[in-house]
Amino acid sequence: MSSVLDGFAVVLEPTNLLYCLVGVVIGMLIGVLPGLGPAATIAILLPITFGLEPVTAIIMLAGIFYGAQYGGTITSVLLRLPGEASSVVTVFDGHALTRQGRAGTALGIAAIGSFVGGTLAIIALTFVAPLVADFALDFGPPEYTALALLGILLVATISSGGRLRALTAAAIGLLLATVGRDDFTSAERFTLGNLNLADGLDFVPIAMGLFGLGEILYNLEERHRKVQAPATVANVWPSRADLRQSSGAIGRGSVLGFFLGILPGGGAVLASLAAYALEKRRSKHPERFGKGAIEGVAAPETANNAAATSSFIPLLSLGIPANATMAVIFGALLIQGVTPGPQLITENPELFWGVVNSMYIGNILLLIMSIPLVGLFVRILRVRATILAPITVLITLVGAYTVNNSVFDIGLVIAFGVIGYLMKKLGFDPGPMVLAFVLGSLLETSLRRSLLLFDGDPTGFFTRPISGVLLAALIAVALLPLAQPLLRRRTPLAAEKDRGEEEVGRGTPEARDPGPKEPQAKQAAAGTPDSGAPDPNTSEERNSAT
Amino acid sequence: MNKKLPALGLATVLALAGCGGNLESDDSGSAAAAYPERAVTMLIGQDAGGSTDLIGRALADPASADLKQPITVQNRPGANGAVAAKELAAAKPDGYTIMVFVGSLAYITPLAVPADQAVDINNYEVVTGISQDDYVLIANPKTGFKDVQGIVAAKRPIKYATTGVGTGSQLTSSLLFAQAGVDATAVPFNGGAPALTAVLGGQVDVAAVQLGEAKEQIEAGKAVPIVTFAEKRPTYMPDTPTAAEAGYKVPVQQSRAVVAPKGTPEEVVDRLRTAFQKSFGEQAYKDFNTQRLLTPNEVDGATLLQQWNGSLQTYKDLVAEHKINLSGK
Repeated sequence: MSSVLDGFAVVLEPTNLLYCLVGVVIGMLIGVLPGLGPAATIAILLPITFGLEPVTAIIMLAGIFYGAQYGGTITSVLLRLPGEASSVVTVFDGHALTRQGRAGTALGIAAIGSFVGGTLAIIALTFVAPLVADFALDFGPPEYTALALLGILLVATISSGGRLRALTAAAIGLLLATVGRDDFTSAERFTLGNLNLADGLDFVPIAMGLFGLGEILYNLEERHRKVQAPATVANVWPSRADLRQSSGAIGRGSVLGFFLGILPGGGAVLASLAAYALEKRRSKHPERFGKGAIEGVAAPETANNAAATSSFIPLLSLGIPANATMAVIFGALLIQGVTPGPQLITENPELFWGVVNSMYIGNILLLIMSIPLVGLFVRILRVRATILAPITVLITLVGAYTVNNSVFDIGLVIAFGVIGYLMKKLGFDPGPMVLAFVLGSLLETSLRRSLLLFDGDPTGFFTRPISGVLLAALIAVALLPLAQPLLRRRTPLAAEKDRGEEEVGRGTPEARDPGPKEPQAKQAAAGTPDSGAPDPNTSEERNSAT
Repeated sequence: MNKKLPALGLATVLALAGCGGNLESDDSGSAAAAYPERAVTMLIGQDAGGSTDLIGRALADPASADLKQPITVQNRPGANGAVAAKELAAAKPDGYTIMVFVGSLAYITPLAVPADQAVDINNYEVVTGISQDDYVLIANPKTGFKDVQGIVAAKRPIKYATTGVGTGSQLTSSLLFAQAGVDATAVPFNGGAPALTAVLGGQVDVAAVQLGEAKEQIEAGKAVPIVTFAEKRPTYMPDTPTAAEAGYKVPVQQSRAVVAPKGTPEEVVDRLRTAFQKSFGEQAYKDFNTQRLLTPNEVDGATLLQQWNGSLQTYKDLVAEHKINLSGK
């Protein structure tokens, strides 16, 4: 317990407080701006964190991630323009409330829900992560093999819209991970005799290229409509009746979001969809949804924040990134010389608890900022993309160079930027590719280490308790989609997810009338590959918009 | 403000003169006398935050005070330092680019990689040796191993973690077990920390890691030290026998040196050496060595070359004698 308190001491150091503030403000900003998502922003800012203390760096990056969940709400509610994929469902009831003149209420409830969801998830994180760390030393190569396999498979299967595409992208990611000198024999693999490739492709330029540069290039093609922001937003404090009405939704959203966030491949987007669907199904008057039901704002906004927080659990306790944004933060830890894994809590308690506890502070800062500063953030939308894009590209390229002082890395960023752009054009989410790339080398080395330990006998994986259980889960996940049509009663999660998809499916064309918007781009921006759901609508929408 | 401007102008003139250096190469002597006139770049072939990086940074500050010019540390990680070594070889031999070179790149990696990728230390000018890092073989307490005899007497196949292929960790363990006639399988990990974790978690029986990495766990009783591979007992672990005392010939250390490109003028190398000797004398630097369990090896370039070339030859012979193949099967 004393290490938890020491964590607060770390957070309250002025530098860390400052970077926490910087992180959440940047998060809010990019949350408001459609296009650049947290994964892209964090990727672009990675080089800046290089000179910081590890704990300070991760506090800032984490702030960007959960701050974006708050920011994304603002434009969803006011302008029917979700800044983040995880705020897409908030559009339905949030904007309806705005039209009824209750924008303040919607934003207030969203901020309170986000705060409650985030805070409950941090408390749960505080208790759950150390439990996992107790098993830290039992996690050997076989367990990591099973975890990495499970992670890659979940990423691909959960992204229903394009399972095949996600698997293809993941397979390419795995192939990219094989580049470099073999860790076991020092044989050269795909290095073309280039020493720069001897240690494999570096994660940072790949993430910066695919998420950062690719995203910017793709967004340049979008038409940018002029934004008419409402001049004032009154009455941000919800009434007692509103609070009473949303309290259930906030509670359920917190729990649902927390669990979906832990799930590899899950995260904020899936959580917001599922929470919305759950509320609608539970409601005695589901017809109110889409017409300004306050629960329709409270539930997804609570859930996405809870999930954003809980997705740190697999990263910080096992070293397994649950989604693409976590993969980038994984990279950030690596460049700081910190290997995330079960050892992290015991070896780096000040880092672990510093980051976890900074989230309390960050959530309070966001709650304070999000209400009075709404108008200011909306004004950011008026900055033209033609100004923003070149600056971002410049920062990206300069940043890529500074990590390893390597011109080769700049080339990599450009190459992967083009690949990322083309993937987006062809409807591929770069998320699974980056995740598979990160997990690929873990998978390969752990598998080969395990086989050395087992003297080449693969049944060893099943006789160890932890890897046995993980592999059983893996088989269940792999068989689930095959078994689904055969089962009459489907699992509640799958049902909720489908309902969520229906919602977005129905909602998106309707949301078209004010102007073209791009849920697909934003989902990729949020970095969570789990929501290919609106894909068909999106492409229709784009065709009709052009 | 006014003072700075002429200095800037002078620097520009000198820079221009430097560009034309090929035409009038006879001015190199006077240029060396004036050395250093601008910042010196110190390449580090390892990641920031690692042992080599920390050593380089600990040296850079006091040395730059002596040189009255900044020393900028730049990390160029890759291939155990081969990326940085290649860049250094291509740099102008004027003393403005130097590197902290790790010994394993010069005398262990060549045993594991194809000949055309091996880096030869004789193609560089050695400024000074820095320090040595010793390896210790540790065992998980549950194995019951307390010394090498215990491992031999167990008469069972054992698994050992290494910190990677072509590292001192791999070389030490494989030499020891080959000489002791133990049936041992190497499981390569990526660095010292994961190898240590594998021992603590009981995934492997033993591993050779650097002293500084294992000290805490040894003191906590979570790992049992078997032998060190130092020439004589390191002052930091006086109770642990060396491999030589146990009857095995495994004299392997990690070693580090400051190195300049081949052809760097002698006066410049000497000037740099004087500057680094200032660093070695600093109490803060001495404390740093103690804290990281490093043994000073502040020898001159010729001695260091002798050490490293000797090590390479010894290891080549030992590896051939015991038919060890560092690159896998």
